[in-house]
Amino acid sequence: MEQILANGLYLGAQYALIALGLTLIFSLMNVLNFAHGQMYVFGGFVTYTVVVQFGLPFIVGLIASAVTLAIIGALIEQYLFRPVIRKSQREESTMLLAAGIAFFLDAVILLLFGEKQRGVPKIVDGVFNWDFRIIMPYDRILICGLAIALIASFILFMQYSKAGRAMRALAQDRVAAQLMGVDVNRYSMLGFALGAMLAGVVGGLLVTITGINLGMGGPTSIKAFLMIMIGGAGVISGAIAGGFILGMMESVGLTALSAYGDITYLVIFASLMVFLAIRPQGLMGKPWG
Amino acid sequence: MAALLSVQGVTKRYGGLIAVNNVSFDVAASEILSVIGPNGAGKSTLFKLISSFTQVTSGKVLLEGDRISNLTPHVVARKGVVRTFQEATIFRAMTVRDNIIVSHHLRSQASLLGFFLGSAKARADEAAFGDSADDIIEFLGLQGIANEVASNLPQGHLRALGMAIGLATGPKVLLLDEPFAGMNHDETMHMVNLVRRLRDDRGVTVLLVEHDMAAVMKISDRIVVINFGQKIAEGTPSAIQSNDQVIEAYLGSEDDVIGM
Amino acid sequence: MNIRSLLAVIVFIIVVLVAVPVLIAKSGRWDFYYTLTSVALLSIASAGVWFTFYIGRINIGQGAYALAGGYVSAVLVMKADMNFWLTLPLAGIFCAVLSVFIGMPILRLRGVYFAMVTLILTEVMRLAALALPVTNGAKGITSIPLPGAVSIGGVTLLPDFNTLENPKLAFYLVSATLMIICYGVLWRIVNSRLGHLCRSLQQNEELAASIGVNISWLRVLAYSISSFFGGIAGAMFIAVSQSIYPSSFQVADSVNFMLNCFLGGLGYVFGPMLGTLVLYFGWDLLFSTGKYQLLIYSSMIILLILLLPNGILSLGLFNRKIKADKHRDQEGQ
Repeated sequence: MEQILANGLYLGAQYALIALGLTLIFSLMNVLNFAHGQMYVFGGFVTYTVVVQFGLPFIVGLIASAVTLAIIGALIEQYLFRPVIRKSQREESTMLLAAGIAFFLDAVILLLFGEKQRGVPKIVDGVFNWDFRIIMPYDRILICGLAIALIASFILFMQYSKAGRAMRALAQDRVAAQLMGVDVNRYSMLGFALGAMLAGVVGGLLVTITGINLGMGGPTSIKAFLMIMIGGAGVISGAIAGGFILGMMESVGLTALSAYGDITYLVIFASLMVFLAIRPQGLMGKPWG
Repeated sequence: MAALLSVQGVTKRYGGLIAVNNVSFDVAASEILSVIGPNGAGKSTLFKLISSFTQVTSGKVLLEGDRISNLTPHVVARKGVVRTFQEATIFRAMTVRDNIIVSHHLRSQASLLGFFLGSAKARADEAAFGDSADDIIEFLGLQGIANEVASNLPQGHLRALGMAIGLATGPKVLLLDEPFAGMNHDETMHMVNLVRRLRDDRGVTVLLVEHDMAAVMKISDRIVVINFGQKIAEGTPSAIQSNDQVIEAYLGSEDDVIGM
Repeated sequence: MNIRSLLAVIVFIIVVLVAVPVLIAKSGRWDFYYTLTSVALLSIASAGVWFTFYIGRINIGQGAYALAGGYVSAVLVMKADMNFWLTLPLAGIFCAVLSVFIGMPILRLRGVYFAMVTLILTEVMRLAALALPVTNGAKGITSIPLPGAVSIGGVTLLPDFNTLENPKLAFYLVSATLMIICYGVLWRIVNSRLGHLCRSLQQNEELAASIGVNISWLRVLAYSISSFFGGIAGAMFIAVSQSIYPSSFQVADSVNFMLNCFLGGLGYVFGPMLGTLVLYFGWDLLFSTGKYQLLIYSSMIILLILLLPNGILSLGLFNRKIKADKHRDQEGQ
């Protein structure tokens, strides 16, 4: 039991971090970022390159991932989403664009980093063992701790910094925020960069444990969508709740349902159907966003 | 007086908030009855309750003795109680005529499969809807703009189109949600006329919610006044005009002017 | 239907069923049969996505139904020894029924929410195919026999594909015919009362309810028609490739179906057909660029969206339709 909870917490912390980036972009620009999983993969490869190819410390790799993805996010917002949002009247166009960007990033990852599964050597050795009730390698505990610290600092940033407050105002009501003098373009770009950065950082964190490969992008996006459907899209608390709930469900499912084969996600989806029938807006979402 | 529509002790609670509190009144066949009250008095909620766009907490709404509360909007519409909306709510990408034709849905004899296959019944329906639509267009004076795409129309025409959509369903009772809002004097008088003819020429019973007191006084057979979710008065326009409680309710609110 | 459009349809049918085979025989590019068969079948699936859009929902879950339809057909052919042509409608019906159960809760969602949940559905269907015993997991179902003969009262309507000298041509002709039938049906739906009601739903659900349209029922009906298209497209595809794996239709396919519709143009019934043709051919033609294929393809999609955010058909060929489209766009804001 304790083991399941610990695994759930470990998974949930990473998931929540991924969902936070996605929900931030969604709430600011009403854009469903299909390329989120690809950004995560990109971040993983950057850390891998810095740590393994260049032989630099892990923390440098993590920072490099964050910076690279923040720049990519900012560029994508400024040169792709902004003109399309301005020119086209329907929200579907941005969805299309996001899908195109997902394919594009896949192509770039393929050309830059290849198809192989890559990994980074363990950053800390040893296994934590509490009386065989919880067994967890130290590196996982470290990553989990880092993820939770990042979530906490993200919340503090959104709550207390000037930029965070501006972005929250923007998410609540774009027009009103503009009237209040918030620089919409600047903070949309900042928000997109921040969202992409979060995805990249999670990629960098996880490359040390699960490694990274080209095929992980799509499924990661799907998981992120699941989380924000559970928690309610565009709500920060919802993303965190959704992340931890999915992590727990996955952890419980892998143990409880292992006898029936790999059906955890089938069961999770079926439960999501029932849940959405009762509460279409998710746990914390506003009705119809 | 035989009641066509009967609102009986209807209450709506949102959490701790009571939006409509134990309101009862009857609407007779071929009557024009207005519900008035200051902003936030619960008029719109009452409308949603009658058309089943929201569910009552307690009480019930009857149409010819049949309960129509706590159903779904399309079932209530099928029974003959159809609402219009406050804002210009129309099918924006369709022409005026198509807006009206599609709203004949409840009158179709043929099944959707029949329409798909182009059965004789379906073709008869199509022809009948076309004729009826032209009739409604003429009735409401929309001839000049029948083939315009609805989103291009000015506000006044949109309101008339909203009414045409409601009329096309062939209702027994038409619920008009603030039909005079934002109109100048001439437009209001034109609309007052239309509503009256709706009843006189077409035999439709009209229940309307409105702010514009002058228009309400002119048009209504009877008036129900609600304030803070409760009915405070009911009667003929002249009786309402001299009712102390009503005057107080209105003087207490800044948004509404008794424009008599 | 007026004379001009009737003529256009006849010309189109002749081109597809007669001129294309003749040209291919002349040029010797037999590989085009596979490409064009794929285009025909994928455009049927895309037509379903288009129709879901017609009720105002963005459907990125068509891959799920294509996969389900493919498995239904494959399992019935392999395990129940059924004639493929019988499994084709059964696959469609299975998907339509399945979509009723899935659609009832999720069709209450709108916009991005519906899009997200359908995308998840695609992935879940893949996982289901991996996990369920009947689908044979990751190994898939292979060596599916070619379709058998169909005859009614001694008259052979379709020959046994095993006896044919050139099954590729036969598959092309059958798929193209299926596509023409599906688009004919879709065109008829859109131009009959059902289509008008769907449009009313797309433009304003509350108002549609107030004029007496049973909106939840209509949504489910439209979605199940869409899924029927997905199911038969998947089943036919599996018959052509003679094998099916959980990865036969996946998230990227669902996204492509959506792209086909949007890039073709949403204001026009035949938009998804054009979109599928352009995108699939584009992808195929880029094959020679090797490892740069995906890069060039995705860059072109992005460019296309930047330059023509309202689809290829918005180039002014169908002005009236586009005008209506624009009004809808304003509605969507």
